[in-house]
Amino acid sequence: MKTNRTATQVKASAPIDDRVLDAMIGQTRPRIERAMKILRRPQARVGVISSPLGRLLIAESDRGLAAIHFLFISGGERTLAMLRRKFDLIENDASARRIGAEIDRVFEGDFSATARPVDLSLVESDFQRRAYTSLRKVPPGAVITYHGLAATVGQPDSQRAIGNTMASNPIPIFVPCHRVIRSDGTIGNYGGGVDNKIKLLRAEGFEVGRDLRLPALAVMGHRRTGIFCRPDCSAARRVDPAKMLIFADAKCAGHAGLRACKLCKPA
Amino acid sequence: MGRAYEIGIPPPFEEAVKSMEREIMRFLMRSTGDREDAMDLFQETWIRAYRAYPTLQSEDGLRPWIYRIASNLCRNRARDRMRRGRVIANETADGAAPADNAPNQLDGGPESALHLKRAISRLPGKQGQALMMRKFAGLEYAEIGTALNCSAESARASVYQAVKKLKKLRLDE
Repeated sequence: MKTNRTATQVKASAPIDDRVLDAMIGQTRPRIERAMKILRRPQARVGVISSPLGRLLIAESDRGLAAIHFLFISGGERTLAMLRRKFDLIENDASARRIGAEIDRVFEGDFSATARPVDLSLVESDFQRRAYTSLRKVPPGAVITYHGLAATVGQPDSQRAIGNTMASNPIPIFVPCHRVIRSDGTIGNYGGGVDNKIKLLRAEGFEVGRDLRLPALAVMGHRRTGIFCRPDCSAARRVDPAKMLIFADAKCAGHAGLRACKLCKPA
Repeated sequence: MGRAYEIGIPPPFEEAVKSMEREIMRFLMRSTGDREDAMDLFQETWIRAYRAYPTLQSEDGLRPWIYRIASNLCRNRARDRMRRGRVIANETADGAAPADNAPNQLDGGPESALHLKRAISRLPGKQGQALMMRKFAGLEYAEIGTALNCSAESARASVYQAVKKLKKLRLDE
């Protein structure tokens, strides 16, 4: 009984008026605000949408698109944790829907649909950042090999590292890691499932066969000279394969501003 | 909550902690017994909580988690004071004038608020903190356990010991 009495007494002792507390909180607020100006993480708007590629988690900061995650693939919690470390997240479905509309346009054949700026804040390493930046320069309707992409980053032997980099791409579709294929002509793997890679490549004009190989119509484009050739052209065989892009067909290559080779005359 | 919430997008920090401002300030005020200290630690608690917010896994743990930050800061400050050998003579009860000239009602017998406050401050750190979280803030034992990094049973024992000691002090005087 005495224990209870003491406890009751503790509870009742010296109550602190809410107004006193509010005044104290009010006084600390400007100091907290000042500190928060320096500490505050940038904001990112987050939402979930349904797309032709399945349900996607989408995050967008003021600098650009920061993350897309295929929700049917595990690891959503990890993506979210990474986002939380870099950004203050705000739920905003409207922003996600806007980006969803752009993804829809990819499937309607709009080649400029994924041109919006990206925010690579989630990318930690410099190598990866360079890889994503140069991958963004591979236009729709073209693909590059892991080896070729490694060469554009300046480390031609690091195709494995490029493979890992593509696997951990925080912004698939807009950083077009589906446009990276194997040197043997098969399309390789994809973080959002191989089916989705095929869907995206088909939307961009590639006829991906059942053997997951790219079609015979493909032409080799050389970014330095601005010329595209048939794969068996003698001139194409002389150039560094690392500097080649593979285009779905002559039309795609022409669309990217390249001209046809005068020796092999691709259609 | 929108559809996105089903995969666990947490509310923004300010929104999540807004409702706890008063009770944290009250807890700090009771722990430190000093207005300026409480305000300092409040600011520190808020900033630390904001920085660590991304590491918080689930919203259920928010309340004990923030109490834990606050109580760690209180403990750090008490330790620093001890190291520097600073004397904290500020023992005024909340809003009351210091009672050094005449023993008044506040500073009087063993039943007074100030007496109790002194007695609590003399308790070992963990017991004092546990007692305050239980009796003033009304946390569950499991929450206190999380805040003080011990089991719920240990938290219950700390509160029990604290109350027992207070009772003994009162009987002694």
